[in-house]
Amino acid sequence: MITKIVRQRYLYAMLIPAVLIVFTFSYVPLFGWLIAFVHYQPGYPLFSSEWVGLQQFKAFFTETNDYMYLLRNTLSINIGALIANLGTAFLFALLLNEIRQRFFGKLIQTVTFFPFFISWIIIYSLSSALFATSSGAINETLVQWGWIDEGINVLGDPTYSWAFIILIGVWKFLGYNSVIFISAIASIPSEFYEAAQIDGANRFQRMWHITIPNLIPTLIVLLILNSGWILNSNFEQFYLFTNTTNWEKMEVLDIYIYRYGLQLLNYPYATAVGIMKTVISLIIIVSVNAIAKKSTGKAIF
Amino acid sequence: MKERTISGTLFDIGNFLFMLFILLLMVFPFIYIISYSLSSPNMLKGGLVLFPAGFTFDSYAKALGDSAVLKGALVSIARALIGPAVMLFFTSMGAYVLTRSDLVGVKFFRKYFVFTLYISSGIIPMYLLMGYLQLKGTFLIYILPGAVSVFSMVLIKTYIEGLPKELEEAAVVDGANDFKLFFQVIFPICTPVFAAVVLFECVNQWNAFIDTQIYNTMSPNLYPLQYVLYNTLNQINSLEQLRDQGQKQMSAITPQTFKMAITVITVLPIACVYPFLQKYFIKGLLVGSIKG
Repeated sequence: MITKIVRQRYLYAMLIPAVLIVFTFSYVPLFGWLIAFVHYQPGYPLFSSEWVGLQQFKAFFTETNDYMYLLRNTLSINIGALIANLGTAFLFALLLNEIRQRFFGKLIQTVTFFPFFISWIIIYSLSSALFATSSGAINETLVQWGWIDEGINVLGDPTYSWAFIILIGVWKFLGYNSVIFISAIASIPSEFYEAAQIDGANRFQRMWHITIPNLIPTLIVLLILNSGWILNSNFEQFYLFTNTTNWEKMEVLDIYIYRYGLQLLNYPYATAVGIMKTVISLIIIVSVNAIAKKSTGKAIF
Repeated sequence: MKERTISGTLFDIGNFLFMLFILLLMVFPFIYIISYSLSSPNMLKGGLVLFPAGFTFDSYAKALGDSAVLKGALVSIARALIGPAVMLFFTSMGAYVLTRSDLVGVKFFRKYFVFTLYISSGIIPMYLLMGYLQLKGTFLIYILPGAVSVFSMVLIKTYIEGLPKELEEAAVVDGANDFKLFFQVIFPICTPVFAAVVLFECVNQWNAFIDTQIYNTMSPNLYPLQYVLYNTLNQINSLEQLRDQGQKQMSAITPQTFKMAITVITVLPIACVYPFLQKYFIKGLLVGSIKG
């Protein structure tokens, strides 16, 4: 074995840099989890700090009720977004497939994919340009037309927060999410359609009895696999759209961790909340993956 | 498959209109900000701006004359060039080695990398680590943490595994060592997958903003364009200051048109590489989702 390793020295030479980089930036910070278990003092070595056990973890559930609104927001928004994203992508792919003008179909696909590549800051900028209460284009127009008396504050009013943040996500990810459905439709054998046509099935019957049933497995697999990420939010999105007036409905776990850690500088508490989030996520991902593997034979690992 | 029925035709028309509506929904925000940014502020009457009112490039001249914007553009360009190059170097070497099933311990290394996709230490330990490594307030903090992208590694590995084995075998017979094997035989034929991951990393680097917010707020010289835009959006104050500096044409530019102009400038490079992104990235995405 030693001689084999020596013979493969060039391979190791190519692998080791990547191993070290990943070790430094993905594995070393895991040791930082210790902060949550000790009496942390900046500048004082972690390993010799006084051990306090699960105190910080308990604090999250006993000293405040924050977990109630955080879990409510995180789960509602993420589950809502998951269903909305996949549902719209499914419908969109189905309808796009029925567009007969190929050029028009390609154009639509090209245009809808574009927002996937633009940053959240740009989307934030577009949102405020369109939806700001007094200066936003949409509000201004509606007021000019006399439909409403004064601008609707979709960016700040908690009433609209969930719907707004979910719809913004749908806008950004529609093209991206539909790609997989479009390719699933393309892989349906054309014999299915030809046979159905010979049997006298019309267009809607073919959609209903062939296209949709063939897409359902893809939909289910995506639904199961993505549900593993239910506690994770897109940080930049929420960082930008959470503000002092809508936080009650908008603040999610990731933002809470950031706020307590880097703004209020309570490192141990923020880390503890983060650890719980990561561990629970991991458990969900592993079990969801096992379910997907068992029921459909498809899995991510 | 051509048959014509009334319900079919009605459906086609309805579907066409629906898609047109989607198209409008996607395009309108961009048309609006482009038109707005090209408008002269005193001609703007509010509401939906579909065409520039009083066509002028003033806002762009102003934006491109702003030192923060220029510096931001340079930082962003540096990120978008250096980041992907460094990432490709380390990631592609690693990916190739992981395809070599004869390597001692290859199974362990595969798990070692994939594991990091599912567990992350979170924001605080990362912040403290960057402090210990003294990377805060440096340009390197934009490059090093992403020097290995496990997601790209999986894509590249999948691609290399799909290549005919004869290529490698022929090179081995010719006496090539593993270095040569990778850099002279494998590397040149991986262009499609490299294009996909490099373009994707370019976009990520160009779009990144939160790393600046977390680590580099104290170093204005390292603000990328996205962060400059973020500041512009939030700090109308600083714009008012600029206005007071007394240059005459400045009074003709409202913070609004200025904001819109910077937004357009920030999104423009993405629009320019978009045709390539579409060509390579979507292909890569499908490869990754099916086999990865």
